[in-house]
Amino acid sequence: MEPLISMGVLALIGAAATIAGASEDLESDVGSQSNANSQVQLAPQMGYVHRIYNKAIAGEPVSNALMCTIGATGALVLIKHFGFSPLFALVIGSLIAAMVHGSYSVTAIMGREASQARFKQPIYLDLIRSHTPVIMAFAFLTTFSVMIVSYLMVYSLMHPFPFVLLCFLWGVVVGSVGSATGDVHLGAERQFQATEFGAGLNASQSGNIVRKAESGLRNGIDNLWFCSKFGGPMTGVSFGMVVFLGTWILVVFDPAEGNLEGWLSNILGLVIVIVLGIWNWHIEKETREKYGPYKEDKGEEVSA
Amino acid sequence: MIDIVGLIASNLIWILAIVIGGTLISISVHFIPVGGAPAAMAQATGIGTGTVMLAAGAGIAGIIAAGAVMAVNQNIWVVIGAAAVGAAVMLAATMIVATWIYAYGVGVMPVSAKVKYDPITKYRQDLYVSQGTEGHGIPTVAYVSASIGGLLGGLGAGLAYYALMKVSTLPVTNLNLVAVVSTFTIGFFFINSVIPSYNIVGTIEGFHDPKFKKWPKAAIASFLASIPLGILAVVAVASLASVGGL
Repeated sequence: MEPLISMGVLALIGAAATIAGASEDLESDVGSQSNANSQVQLAPQMGYVHRIYNKAIAGEPVSNALMCTIGATGALVLIKHFGFSPLFALVIGSLIAAMVHGSYSVTAIMGREASQARFKQPIYLDLIRSHTPVIMAFAFLTTFSVMIVSYLMVYSLMHPFPFVLLCFLWGVVVGSVGSATGDVHLGAERQFQATEFGAGLNASQSGNIVRKAESGLRNGIDNLWFCSKFGGPMTGVSFGMVVFLGTWILVVFDPAEGNLEGWLSNILGLVIVIVLGIWNWHIEKETREKYGPYKEDKGEEVSA
Repeated sequence: MIDIVGLIASNLIWILAIVIGGTLISISVHFIPVGGAPAAMAQATGIGTGTVMLAAGAGIAGIIAAGAVMAVNQNIWVVIGAAAVGAAVMLAATMIVATWIYAYGVGVMPVSAKVKYDPITKYRQDLYVSQGTEGHGIPTVAYVSASIGGLLGGLGAGLAYYALMKVSTLPVTNLNLVAVVSTFTIGFFFINSVIPSYNIVGTIEGFHDPKFKKWPKAAIASFLASIPLGILAVVAVASLASVGGL
């Protein structure tokens, strides 16, 4: 393919991946399906009954891979067997995936909250009614965007993997990225806003999540509002980077042109890793200087 | 009747490549700083997700890159290099964004709780660990360790993918062959990243963590597990190809 057209397709893929990352993280924030869910699950056991949607269908990578695979299978059947236009088929495929995800979400929260009856945790039916459509909407967005990424890769950039398999793979990666980045904003900051800013969660505070909102009791949508300001978009940037940079190095130096180009693309990838590493080190240095240590150096005091 | 012994004998070199790939994946997982659920609460150093999921996410990014390259260039070093770099780029992009969130969203600096001084930057660590936590964020040593882990894991996955693609004489763009081989490689990656998680038990910070010393046990276990897996995969792919199933 012409390098310029490849670059255009790549830009579209990057944009779709960014939306996929952001919506994936926000979906997990509304339903608290993430590592931060461990605290939501723990809270009633520690005596903190809450009104936060508690679903963890599976680990985020597995759950997203399931959604994307269901959506892609549906879409592919519609395209190949019924002759639907791809865009229309992808929308219907995502809708099917969102509905399946919604039903899993309801069974997950019902099961989880019912199992905590002994800790006096109620099942709020209005919470399920108000949150499940939001979860489904984000699931729809994630599935659709991941399918757009995979579709463009398979049919425009000529990636050899079958469409459904590629959707499954990107589903695992988007879950993995979302779980590793955006969830930190929910788990370490939003759930523990009552504790001092600028510290990790003290183990003794485990389960003591914030349960009161600006008005009334805090729910998953309050968490979504907060995380959509930083954690969600950052997850989008992260997944966008993973998809874009990983493909960009193969477009700039196309291995089809020879082994030299293949090696150059690998070297370019290594340069990206090193540059991001230097940036990481720079942030480490900057935060150490700005935030300062938590404890005094007792050893130096004694010697002084 | 398919001559299974003959298939194994003629593909011994590829079985060996798969076994080496599995062992590399197993070793690589020890390098990746996995913080698990505690890291999501800034309660432990590392990337805030589970061992297998993170390693698999990186390995899969590597397999996607290897697949794209293998379709157009069959030089073994270019293919496995692309897999290694694909996995490392995935981890790098995840780690830098996680660092932004730790630094600007949570307000903590990257710090390790397992060593007093970072072996690479020589920064003092223990004073910067907030109370009641086992460190937080991704300090430079963990970043370097994760990059090595990504490269090794991708290398292993790429090697297994390449070896299985070469078992049959079918063209590398055959969709059925690609589907079977990539599915096997992913399963293979999952198996070999589950084995080391018994060493890691939740969290590890990288090569400076005391748990890292246990890697030979997992490497041996993965080596042994990869032998029957490699034989099964080679026999399955080669016999499917020979009877026209692909």
